[in-house]
Amino acid sequence: MTLSSLSMRNAKRQARDYLVYFVTIIITAALIYAFNGLVFSQEMRVLSKMMSTMPLIIVLASLVVVCIISWLVQYTTNFMLSRRSRELGTYILIGLENKQVAKMFFQENLIVGGAALVPGVLLGNLVYQALRALVLALFGKAYHFSFVFSMPALGLTLAYFLLIYLLAQRKSRKRIRSMKIYDLIYFERRNEEAAIQNGVRRKRAFIVSIVLGIAGTVFIMAGDLAIGIIGAGMIIAFLYGFFASFASGVPAYFEKHAEKKYGGQTLLVFRTLSAKLAAMGVLMATISLLFTATIISEGTGLIFRFIFENRYEQNACFDLMISTQNPQAEYFRDTVDFIEERIPSECSWEYNICLRDSAEDSRILSKYIKEEMWIPEFYSSDAVMAFSDYAALREILGYPAVTLEPGTYLLQCQKYIASALKDWNQPIPVGDTVLEFGGIQTEIFAQYLWNVNGGEYILVVPDEIAETCVVDHRMYSIKTPEHMGDDFYEEVKTRFRDKIEGYKDDEGVLFYIRSEDEKEMASSIATIVFPLYYLALVLTMTAATILTIQQLSETERYRRQFSLLHKLGMGKTDMQNALRKQFTIYYAMPVLPSLIISGAFILNLANLTDPGSLYGAGGPLMVLAVTLALFFLIYAIYIVMAYTTMKRNVLP
Amino acid sequence: MLKVENIEKYYGSANNVTKALDRISFDVEDGEFIAIMGASGSGKTTLLNCISTIDTVSAGKILLDGVDISELSSKELARFRRERLGFVFQDFNLLDTLTIEENIGLALSLTYTNPGSVQKQVREAAQRLEITDILNKFPYQVSGGQKQRAACARAMVAGQSLILADEPTGALDSKASKNLLELFTRMNRGMGATILMVTHDAYSASYASRVLFLKDGRVFNELLRGNRARTDSYHEILNVLAMMGGDISDVI
Repeated sequence: MTLSSLSMRNAKRQARDYLVYFVTIIITAALIYAFNGLVFSQEMRVLSKMMSTMPLIIVLASLVVVCIISWLVQYTTNFMLSRRSRELGTYILIGLENKQVAKMFFQENLIVGGAALVPGVLLGNLVYQALRALVLALFGKAYHFSFVFSMPALGLTLAYFLLIYLLAQRKSRKRIRSMKIYDLIYFERRNEEAAIQNGVRRKRAFIVSIVLGIAGTVFIMAGDLAIGIIGAGMIIAFLYGFFASFASGVPAYFEKHAEKKYGGQTLLVFRTLSAKLAAMGVLMATISLLFTATIISEGTGLIFRFIFENRYEQNACFDLMISTQNPQAEYFRDTVDFIEERIPSECSWEYNICLRDSAEDSRILSKYIKEEMWIPEFYSSDAVMAFSDYAALREILGYPAVTLEPGTYLLQCQKYIASALKDWNQPIPVGDTVLEFGGIQTEIFAQYLWNVNGGEYILVVPDEIAETCVVDHRMYSIKTPEHMGDDFYEEVKTRFRDKIEGYKDDEGVLFYIRSEDEKEMASSIATIVFPLYYLALVLTMTAATILTIQQLSETERYRRQFSLLHKLGMGKTDMQNALRKQFTIYYAMPVLPSLIISGAFILNLANLTDPGSLYGAGGPLMVLAVTLALFFLIYAIYIVMAYTTMKRNVLP
Repeated sequence: MLKVENIEKYYGSANNVTKALDRISFDVEDGEFIAIMGASGSGKTTLLNCISTIDTVSAGKILLDGVDISELSSKELARFRRERLGFVFQDFNLLDTLTIEENIGLALSLTYTNPGSVQKQVREAAQRLEITDILNKFPYQVSGGQKQRAACARAMVAGQSLILADEPTGALDSKASKNLLELFTRMNRGMGATILMVTHDAYSASYASRVLFLKDGRVFNELLRGNRARTDSYHEILNVLAMMGGDISDVI
């Protein structure tokens, strides 16, 4: 039998024994291939100019993935090495050289990697189709299935995989080459020691780590980059200190409180786990760190998605808007005339946005709102518009008609502000007249940009009163029943740009095209949010795989344990409960600190965003809930897989 | 206390049946110390597994204090094992993640004993078996003989009425074996434990008050020690073994 055929046989066995690892490598290969597909896709690049940066960002994300996966491969191969050290020692004993054994081991892993690559690439094609469909949906384009096998994507995937295995094998090759027969054969005899043995030191380390954890979380939430970096360092120290001291501290606790361990299945659960945690302290901390990074990536991705979507939606009621403080300027008049000739007249409206008072800092409503929440202030006074303009715009937008009683004003504001105005019923002086409060409207009304229909809110007043107010800017807004086509808007844009040249910058000009904003939103999501999810998914899979490999490697010990307990008269329900408890604590341990740290981070980040950008269904708590749901969905797959395998194999 | 009536045990499929136990019957009285001897494959361990409810019989009855154990549900069987039976295995079967104290306490926590009194009961049992000084050690930190004493403590700490021992001296050196067998005698005479011990070692069997010899799944012979000295009993056991045709490897 040649070394290669021995490698092949071992690789088959390895794939069977480490099925979870094998499946993770397949899914990773699929993800890498699918994202590489996006990198080389011409179809994606022509969607928007902003999409040209996507390949670079995906390549950077993939390089991070390569590093993470090579760590996973390195960890797993080292783990296999220790499990198979006696076998490898026997090869050397019967005359193979260390070099040959190292080569054989490398070949085996390469075969496993290669074997994962084939189904991975096939699956990757499907994932690519899903990504394509998602990106096209973001751009509002129709998706048609078309099978594309991208050779450049395959080439890049192969290159990444080679890199993963070369990086991962360096350490184990070196280790095998320098190992002596005795070390290999008696590797299993090495006892795993608790990280911190001394009781006083352990207690101190535990307290210090908790303090560091709290301080680190507060620092990260401070919002300052330098302090945030220090905070991140503190959190890393917390995680390693916490797991090193916690795992060794549990037995010490039960030594003092013996009566607590003999209740229910506590004794079995805590002893099995503390033995495992004591030996895995550093690994648990690393996994916890990976989980923290995962949840932060997912949460940040989600926050960005909601911000991009919300920013777009708040203005997307109009197809085009132009505003200026110089309504006679050629760029405004000419563009308006050009558009008017080409669209039905009932689709557009030209109107003034005025200020309630000409005095500086005469805002009444924003001051009232600010008592409850921060909002940006665009104007020196509250913005005002004539009711006839408002009614015309409502009609264009297809909103139900509203009435305005004489002597009253309406408040048109963004939804998130309405909560701060729920008790508002005050009269407001506009010009020389005091108007009574007539109600609030919260439909989307393009109030999110500077120099549009008021900043966050606008007062709708009778026409004769609006005429007495100072005009701030003139607006022209259109909404056509059907999309006029990109060429039309492109032409309008070019014309506007040509005409505006030479004008001063301080005329408060705004030129907005909805379809462009939609592309910008879609590109931002595709280039920022997708890679963040990609990273988060790989991080979760890597950490969950390592936990599962560790857990399943104990199958034989668990089987012996439950067989004995069965003989001693433990009931099946009690055994199932004990196993379930062990699983719950084992899988919850590394997640709990991550949840606290990343939860605080996400909520803080969500609160730092512009008010109104995360609101209602996209509010901070909802962001956190969705993030955790996504995370636990993937994590649960691994837990259920490990639990069912374990239950089947260990319970008598 | 224990009544074994005509039990039979078959293994294998319809075309290939192995008869492991063939109409075996015997009684065990309270406070007896019985050894079951026989060559490899004679059915000793199968018999012990059937009595301990780990395995089921194909025919016949096993009655413990008048209760037919073959009629108990799996839940009742589990309860029966943890409350009535104590086990001592050849390879000790102590959990390596638990200390000696916890291994003994495990038997009590399985019977839902008040957690507050577990440690006290464990210490009392340990005192009787002279292993108090190793209670805080893990199994890998103590000798084979100490492990087996810990197993004995576990087998009787919850007040189990019948101790089943499967080759308990199999993994011990001669000194530790002698100590263990003396301990068994003490547990039997001083603490009133009923012991059923499977062994293929004549020396171990000579400590028992009665020896049952199995051959090809049947009770071949039975020896009662009575008031004779242990050494006389030992020689008599060797004679029976020689009569059974057992070779020297079965004897040593």
